Amino acid sequence: MKKIAIYATVLALSGGALYSVIAAENAAEPAAAAEAPKEPIVCFESRKGASEITQQEIKPGWPNVKCSPTTGAALWYGDPFEGTVPMGKMPGLEKLPEGHALVKPRSGKLNILPMCGTACHNGVGPQFNPPKLPKGKKPTPIPTMEGLVPDVKDLQHGRGRIWCLDCHHTTKRDKLVDHFGDPISFDQPQLLCGKCHGDKLRDWRDGIHGKRIGEFASNGKKRWFTCTECHNPHNVQDGERNRGFIQLQPEPSPQLPKGMANADHEKVHPIPNH
Amino acid sequence: MHQLTSFATDYTRYVLKGGTKFYAWMGSLAVLIVGMLYVFYLQNTDGLIVTGMTSQIHDGLYFANLVFLVGVAAGAVTIVFPAYVYHHEGMHKVTVLGEMLAITAVIMVMMFVFAHMGRPDRLWHMIPIIGIYNFPHSMLAWDVLVLNGYLILNAICGFYYLWIKYTGGKINNKWFMPLVFLSIVWAFSIHTVTAFLISTMPSRPMWFHSMMPIRFIVTAFAAGPALIILAFMIIRKNTKFWIDDSVINLLSTIVTYCLGIAIFLTMSEVVVELYARTEHANGLYYLMFGLHGLTKLVPWFWASVVLMVGSFLLLIFPKFRHDYKMLPILCATTFAGIWIEKGMGLIVPGFIPSPIGEVTEYYPSFVEVLLTLGIWAFGFFILTILLKGAIGILLGDIKYRGAKAVATR
Amino acid sequence: MIPDEKAPTELVKTPASADPAKAVLKTTRRDFLKSGGMLSLSSLVGTGALMAQTGDAKAAVEWAEHFQKNYRLMTKEEKDEARARLERRYSAEYGKQVTVDTTDAQPGVLMGYALNIRKCIGCRRCVHACVAENNQSRGKGRPGEKIEWIQVLRMERGKFEQEKMDHGYPEGLGIQVGGNAYTPAGQVLEGQYHYNPEKVPEADATYMPIACMQCEKPPCVKVCPVRTTYREPDGPVVIDYNWCIGCRMCMGACPYWARRLNVTTPVLPKEEMNPVTHYLGNRPRMRGVVEKCHWCLQRSRHGRYPACVEVCPVGARKFGNLLDPESEVSKILERKNVFRLKAELNTFPKFFYFYD
Repeated sequence: MKKIAIYATVLALSGGALYSVIAAENAAEPAAAAEAPKEPIVCFESRKGASEITQQEIKPGWPNVKCSPTTGAALWYGDPFEGTVPMGKMPGLEKLPEGHALVKPRSGKLNILPMCGTACHNGVGPQFNPPKLPKGKKPTPIPTMEGLVPDVKDLQHGRGRIWCLDCHHTTKRDKLVDHFGDPISFDQPQLLCGKCHGDKLRDWRDGIHGKRIGEFASNGKKRWFTCTECHNPHNVQDGERNRGFIQLQPEPSPQLPKGMANADHEKVHPIPNH
Repeated sequence: MHQLTSFATDYTRYVLKGGTKFYAWMGSLAVLIVGMLYVFYLQNTDGLIVTGMTSQIHDGLYFANLVFLVGVAAGAVTIVFPAYVYHHEGMHKVTVLGEMLAITAVIMVMMFVFAHMGRPDRLWHMIPIIGIYNFPHSMLAWDVLVLNGYLILNAICGFYYLWIKYTGGKINNKWFMPLVFLSIVWAFSIHTVTAFLISTMPSRPMWFHSMMPIRFIVTAFAAGPALIILAFMIIRKNTKFWIDDSVINLLSTIVTYCLGIAIFLTMSEVVVELYARTEHANGLYYLMFGLHGLTKLVPWFWASVVLMVGSFLLLIFPKFRHDYKMLPILCATTFAGIWIEKGMGLIVPGFIPSPIGEVTEYYPSFVEVLLTLGIWAFGFFILTILLKGAIGILLGDIKYRGAKAVATR
Repeated sequence: MIPDEKAPTELVKTPASADPAKAVLKTTRRDFLKSGGMLSLSSLVGTGALMAQTGDAKAAVEWAEHFQKNYRLMTKEEKDEARARLERRYSAEYGKQVTVDTTDAQPGVLMGYALNIRKCIGCRRCVHACVAENNQSRGKGRPGEKIEWIQVLRMERGKFEQEKMDHGYPEGLGIQVGGNAYTPAGQVLEGQYHYNPEKVPEADATYMPIACMQCEKPPCVKVCPVRTTYREPDGPVVIDYNWCIGCRMCMGACPYWARRLNVTTPVLPKEEMNPVTHYLGNRPRMRGVVEKCHWCLQRSRHGRYPACVEVCPVGARKFGNLLDPESEVSKILERKNVFRLKAELNTFPKFFYFYD
């Protein structure tokens, strides 16, 4: 009975948070919304379920983004820096001029984040006893969290060698954690992931791994896509293909050239009986 | 000057006169030419979308005919060469007809160039000084140079000869003979350069081999004289102008040998490509057996094999070669066989698969077929005029007042 | 869609740079001039005047276009004139202020591209980003009206199988001279371009996007009879669309099938047209000319990443200055194993494939 109550409260709270996020977004939209009462077009950027962007015109005939009518993916950036903030301190990128390394805050997409450090893990729960904070680092099942984030029930990342508190801060639940136990912002997941994936961090820092948009010069102004915009941190090697990126719907195939009724021949071996 | 105007008027008057058969022939050609003009208009307002060509297979019927007709133009040298190098009496008499054929073929080639271009209105960009001529880097620039040169050489040699016959003067061998020999060498160059046009592209492995020029030349020296024999047979039948049997026999011998070599070269290519059967053989494999179950060109290839090999097997026997009922048929089958093999059979599979492995097929659209027929009709139209005028002068039907008839010697 | 009195002025202030973010962030006049996107006053006046009388303007402008020189031979004045003429025509045709940039190659820049072939998931977002950016024809009706510069090839992973061990070459003759226990495997340039599964990447496939390689020794440039296509000093191989005669020799010579022919007048809806263009880049083309990838010259000349790089969801596409040792492509060449497609042809692409 108590459990249900907890769930209900959490659900209600997250729903409220979600609503407020949407409301804030609507408010942020300028007169354009008033002019065209159409449903705003929102497209996802890298993987589905991570960063999103709402299409709007930033000057006549020039949208901030063009979305795919087929898949809803972002297909073209009119403004690569929309909604970005400075990345913050990142070792190895000190040489970049001030304000040239930007990221899109992840916090906005994480619906329950505002509550994490305030509503539940502040030690003064409203309707129920505050969850006890684990003393050590040994894994223990946490039904509330499992209910909120289904991914963690059977955490794939690390294959059982790591658990929640290897990445999440024990007491400050709206933060991630570094090797010293100090908090890391959710907007800078690279500092966390780099703890283990040093080679990837190095490649990412040099622009080889991951994605950056904006100006291509090595000291240019760029939006850096952070780790979690492309990878699901709880299940990086998405099951189907055992690769770091989740499957998604492809954009339409090219037009068949004149003279071809279909592309079935592509599936046939070039030489018969082989 | 007076001589020149009277040459022009006499020539025109003679050419325009003719029987019902002549007018019917010219009339039906004219119908096709009008059709050609219409589809040319379509193609240049709507664009090449009205043809069967795509970004994958962007050279089709036009380019195939272009390549083939360069061969026909070069084939005229099979008359000029024996006439001036071996002093073949019969050939010498008809040299000018060969030159007229060459002129016609080159004009047809140029028309096919126009048909092939995406922007024929911009062809002036190739003219040196007002445009840019990418010489010597671009093979196409070489091709334009040699083709125009060949046209000019043949026009000068042919019409100078006719002019002398008309006025009854004497040929100035001091500059005429060097020009004739230049035109002989030049004939080889036009076809060599046309072969280089496509054989210098490593992106298209089917064409990328050094055998291409010699294959072009031998097929040209089979198809060209085959057409000439047909024309001569028609002339013998329909005009007073008599062409020696020795001419036709020599030409049919040339056709036979060159056809034999052409078949040998094709066979060599098949063995080399299919023995190792690398990916570079995919084009040829598509042509012979099809690829990915796509087999549109396969029947054409085997038809050309049957036509060429069949014609050759019969032609090697003097019995058939000298049988003037049989010979035109064999010439027609040779011509058709080579037209397929060297035209569509060479150009289209060069694009299949595309350099990045995409397999698509091509078939010419109605517009392409009509435009091609129209250009051939136009070719026959001017060939008829040129041959008729030349024969008239050679026969002495057209001559400057008071000049002696010298044509028939 | 004629903007009000004030709007054009606003627009002119926007650099012809592909970085409208600058405009959004209220670029200063100096920044704008620095970015090189200068717009002649004449084009502005002309646009206003000509939007009213579209037909005549178009005809007159097209007539003048027929007689212009090859872009490379134009003087500064002639280039400005040609640009103003085009801007007027395009603005009238597409009902919005269109800019035609003529920024030259920037000193010290040699563009290079690298693609992580292990990362590509075959989603074709790059293909469609390219179309959105570069004003390609996008008709859905007749075949040939839709042009895409990037092709994504799906290749089988392939495998060797026990059951096929005793199959052999040549089959049917009774003598086994080779084995046939495999299905195609590896980078074989043989596969599907028209794949359309529900989800990518598929477990049994790898993907390889192919577009113009911007060769150092481009075969297409050599064969062009009118020198309309050439390599720019900063790397990309470009085409002066107004000089192209449509002979398609370049298409035949390209070993990467990077070039496309406009078989008809491009189908480009007004609302989808990208108004920020470059003369040698994405300005609308005409019927009968050849076009190809130019690494989004209208963006890259102003420092911005090409469109395909920006939308790749997995970050497989990398672009940068090869002369800058700190750039991402230089780092890749330094650190990763790279290969060039069809390296045996000595075309020396500036487009590299690499593995992680």
